[in-house]
Amino acid sequence: MAKERYGNENFTRRIRQILVGGLVLSLFAVFLLWRIDSPRVERFRAALVDKIVPSFDWALVPVTKVAGMVEGFQSYNKIYEQNQALRRDLLQMKAWKEAALQLEQENAKLLDLNKVRLDPKLTFVTGVVLADSGSPFRQSVLLNIGARDGIVDGWATTDGLGLVGRISGVGQNSARVILLTDSNSRIPVTIQPSGQRAMLAGDNSGAPPVEFIETPELVRPGDRVVSSGDGGVFPPGLLVGHVALGVDGRLRVRLSADYERLEFLRVLRNPSFHGLSDTGQLLILEDKSQTSNDQTDQVTQANDG
Amino acid sequence: MVDPVTTRRITYWCLFLLIWAFVMFVRLLPIDIQAGGWPGPNWLILFAYAWVLRRPNFVPVLLAAILFFLDDMIFMQIPGLLAGLSLIGLEFLRSRARFSRELPFLFEWTMVAGTILCIMVANRLISALFVVTQPGFGLESFYFVVTVATYPVVVLISSQILGVRQAAPGEVDQMGQRV
Repeated sequence: MAKERYGNENFTRRIRQILVGGLVLSLFAVFLLWRIDSPRVERFRAALVDKIVPSFDWALVPVTKVAGMVEGFQSYNKIYEQNQALRRDLLQMKAWKEAALQLEQENAKLLDLNKVRLDPKLTFVTGVVLADSGSPFRQSVLLNIGARDGIVDGWATTDGLGLVGRISGVGQNSARVILLTDSNSRIPVTIQPSGQRAMLAGDNSGAPPVEFIETPELVRPGDRVVSSGDGGVFPPGLLVGHVALGVDGRLRVRLSADYERLEFLRVLRNPSFHGLSDTGQLLILEDKSQTSNDQTDQVTQANDG
Repeated sequence: MVDPVTTRRITYWCLFLLIWAFVMFVRLLPIDIQAGGWPGPNWLILFAYAWVLRRPNFVPVLLAAILFFLDDMIFMQIPGLLAGLSLIGLEFLRSRARFSRELPFLFEWTMVAGTILCIMVANRLISALFVVTQPGFGLESFYFVVTVATYPVVVLISSQILGVRQAAPGEVDQMGQRV
């Protein structure tokens, strides 16, 4: 009897070993598959996230709202200082508004003189930030809009003022936005007014550094940074932020988008770009660059106007 | 009828699942999206390891594998790599569970820390081998330190609040076998 049980235990242990080995192997197989055919696994990931995260939606929204209310309540303590600061800001803004109105009129006249027609396809879809899907080492958020709303991988996302990130991974009802601060985010930018081309490379810090500047002497802290549209993924002329000198002596960008409260995000429809379905696709985008350049001019004007 | 031992075991499986769901929920809340914060501990690994050293039955390997994998997928980590390594660590500790019972807590802590260190080093080595972008070394070391430092807290919560204690030396299960 005792021996039989011992044999039995031995047998189940063997079965267990096979099960555990199989599990570990299949997990590593997923990793290998991801390394070989990343888009396929990422699509699977998007579908999986799409199934799981929206089921937490009912609880995520109220808890987030309550947290926001608590934060709002705390700020009541400083209401007097805030009020003073807002009044000062408002005074400045009035002056700016006057200038903006004059410029707008001038711009409208010039556009009329040139007979420019703005691209009607340049519209946006607004989504709500559903969840923070990043880890300590990755920065990304989930939006509650997805393939159902016509979202395509690679489209630019802004918070109305500044660029926030790029769509990467679209499920049926959700889409993931890789933020500019993520360590995998690389955005071609132009620094104005010097017109220097550079790369904005996220490094998991709040202010991503600017890399590959041709003549850094021409760049000063405070310069505007806008997307350059190189590579055809992003529309050009979107405000990214302002140059600042980091404590480590590198040129960094203080982002214009308010990363502290990302609540509603605009996904810009980019008709000239139809997503990356393949890892090698960016390399053969060359022949389209002519048409996209034409489009970019119009986009710039759309932004100015 | 389901016997009480099985009921108890299934209750703890569900509890483990609930802990995971809660930790995931809190991490998903879009309250603090800003980059540049310090990473928190890896709760899932800590709970799995603390439980497997006390009651190996309460952390079935299939459940742990699924949860590790989902964690990788949802939070944009490299799919499968950390999950596979964590699973190997889990099984290593499971095989040591009976042996660590007689030893002081400090020894257990060191063992868990060593396991987690091996996982992270292996993770970095394999990532480097397959040319995957890696997080900064400082950030990851901090992550390791925080995770290891939180282990006693997790053990305290598990044993005092959730009742996951080591089996007493003479305790037997319903088959009359030693636990």
